[in-house]
Amino acid sequence: MTDSRTILIRYDEIGLKGKNRKFFENRLLGNVRKSLGGIGGIRVDKIHGRLLVRVAGLQAEECVRRLSCVPGIASLSVGVLVEPDFDEMAALGIEWILPRLQSNGSLKFCVRTKRSDKRFPSTSTEIDFEVGSRIMKSLAPKGLSVDIAHAEFVLEIEIGPQETMVFDNRTPGLGGLPVGSSGEVLSLLSGGIDSPVSSFMLICRGCRVHSIFFDNRTFLGRGGYDKVTRLARVLNRFQGGGRLYVVPFQDIQVAIRDCCSAPNRVVLYRRMMYRIAGVLAERNRYQGLVTGESLGQVASQTLENLAAVSCVVPMSVFRPLIGIPKQEIIARAKKIETYDISVEPHPDCCSVFMPDHPATRSKIEDLEADEALFPWEKLVEQALTSVEVIDLDRSG
Amino acid sequence: MIYLDNAATTPMDPRVTGVLKESIDSDFANSGTVYSIGLDARRKIEQAQEDIARALNIPSTHRIIFTSGGSEANNLFIKGLCFPDKRAACLGLEHPSVREPLNYLESFGNNSLSLLEFQTEGRLDLKGVSMLNENRVRLLCLSHINNELGTVNDPIKISDALKRGSSATRLFMDGVQAVGKLKLDAPLWGELAGYSISAHKCHGPKGIGLLIYDSRLSLEPIVHGGSQQHGVRSGTLPVPLIRAMAEAVKVAVECTDETLEHLRKLNRHLIEGLIDLSSRLDSLSIRFNSLSVDDVARQSPAIVNFSFSPVEGEVLLHHLEEKEIFVGLGSACSAHSKEPSKILTGIGLSEEEARCSLRISFSKTNTVEEVDRFLEEFAQAYEVLFPTFHNKLAER
Repeated sequence: MTDSRTILIRYDEIGLKGKNRKFFENRLLGNVRKSLGGIGGIRVDKIHGRLLVRVAGLQAEECVRRLSCVPGIASLSVGVLVEPDFDEMAALGIEWILPRLQSNGSLKFCVRTKRSDKRFPSTSTEIDFEVGSRIMKSLAPKGLSVDIAHAEFVLEIEIGPQETMVFDNRTPGLGGLPVGSSGEVLSLLSGGIDSPVSSFMLICRGCRVHSIFFDNRTFLGRGGYDKVTRLARVLNRFQGGGRLYVVPFQDIQVAIRDCCSAPNRVVLYRRMMYRIAGVLAERNRYQGLVTGESLGQVASQTLENLAAVSCVVPMSVFRPLIGIPKQEIIARAKKIETYDISVEPHPDCCSVFMPDHPATRSKIEDLEADEALFPWEKLVEQALTSVEVIDLDRSG
Repeated sequence: MIYLDNAATTPMDPRVTGVLKESIDSDFANSGTVYSIGLDARRKIEQAQEDIARALNIPSTHRIIFTSGGSEANNLFIKGLCFPDKRAACLGLEHPSVREPLNYLESFGNNSLSLLEFQTEGRLDLKGVSMLNENRVRLLCLSHINNELGTVNDPIKISDALKRGSSATRLFMDGVQAVGKLKLDAPLWGELAGYSISAHKCHGPKGIGLLIYDSRLSLEPIVHGGSQQHGVRSGTLPVPLIRAMAEAVKVAVECTDETLEHLRKLNRHLIEGLIDLSSRLDSLSIRFNSLSVDDVARQSPAIVNFSFSPVEGEVLLHHLEEKEIFVGLGSACSAHSKEPSKILTGIGLSEEEARCSLRISFSKTNTVEEVDRFLEEFAQAYEVLFPTFHNKLAER
């Protein structure tokens, strides 16, 4: 056994690609290298439809932690180079299984061998049996059992022409596609629970997701700005770099509040947000907007109101949460660690701007009539001249 | 920057900073050890204790316990004395660190008594004392100076009333707003079972406070450990913070007359300025929630609390923040909650009036020019915001 480790990276979805598979693989390879930046003595290779990261043993855990945040990776295993000797392989298996067994009380396991070096004297099935029975002999009295179909721990062995590796149980990755393989989009981040989750979903589909925040700090203070900056940093853990655009929004909200009909106000605010985001997206060649809207969740998220906001921008609007129930959105937010920030008490809209009875079925002609009552083009221009752009690094 | 939120915290006095810096560098030893540098540390703590006792005229009948601040001192005394079954009462206008320990006791079936129906001008009406006797209350907990209103409960008068009407009830006072703003004389301590102080409210450092209590009383500790401070509050004592607090208390007490004179001037200037504003601006009508009297036995000149419906206090706060003027919105601990201040609704304000209020709190470092700047910016912000809030009301 040596002190070095080999981390095996599997990527099922990219593996299903046809002629452009190489493009996705190279993108993932680049992202993996970038995510492991700063860790010394690493080698990353692309071999037979998967990636292998060679690293010193002490750094393997940190590498796994970082790689589990890289979209495109289906699962990871840490492998150790061993002599092609059944006792040594079994000893390693026992070392990994024992702590799990002790905390669970019982554990189902199996051994799976891949033998690419056909000169090795035993077949894969024979190796499974030899190593498996050695482990069972030692751990069956402690509650270990063999279950090939429902194993909770799979010890994987690979016997190649030059080396033999034994792999620890698989750590699940995020799956999806590598960031950068699908282009760039701009996500409307409010500070609430939903929008970070929708950004995350697009990140996992290969997009680099930049964020835009509409800031009304003269009414709401700087708490919202602070919250959104932290949310954008958490999201950047998954994509290694993105921008946050902060747009002053108080003048627009005041104008709509003071000039337009109360029930339409929320949709009018959103039309202005979409317009500004649309211009910024076009200027930066982003290929669409992302929002956290979920059908029927609040008054502004009815089919009519969604149509009334989408129609002001000449580009795709992605709403990955459209059919997802709130509880599931919350569960996802907790998983990506944005939830605790999102629920910090800070209003995302001052009560003075909210109508008591918002319209649930706004009509485009009524909205346009309202918009004729204030100089919206001028306000969009003004807002665009005072955008603050924050470049975020990957460190959360 | 103009800082007018001194009831939340105060900037450190340069003399205090000097002591703190020197002590952080030199006083590192554990005051519980028996070698020379440990004994030196202990001697410095005793010296600080003596300085505080002398400055505040604390008699030897009372014990001085160092805590992490006012909240801990309040918790330690109330829970330490009343757990499990001694009944306590409060007015209902106290800081949460007084009200919450009482709620905690209620979870053990020890229900406390609220005297809110006996509040006048934010302080206890002595007619309420008979209720204490009827309900067999052993401890009455009150603010010496109310943290949001600045109204003063006079311990001598209350104690006299207790002796006559409810002799088994002892008096505890939260004194965190009082140091340097009221004279604490020797006769006062004879009337008090306990009293709490926080250093950072009188230009000292954060993280250190005092509980001063009648040493004949037995307190159940909250923190168990190395039996420091008579076993009432275990934990290694922070010598630099203690020495800095002693300096802060000493300076505050030495300058009390001078400070009070200065605060009175600022207070009058602000109140006259606000009255003048409301006569000049048709839309502005000011309701003073604190008293506009020149009598420090009834009202601390350090705090002015006022309402100005229909504009929300929080929105005005953020407008002033843009001009680098920092003011208070109820107590800092509840400033993140969307609920209107319990103290303001407790003295009879509607929720709307409570929401449309600000607390200005002065310290010796503020100037008349700063008050003028505040008045000017307040008027400007109010005029900008009034139409928006006025329309909101008209919609209903």
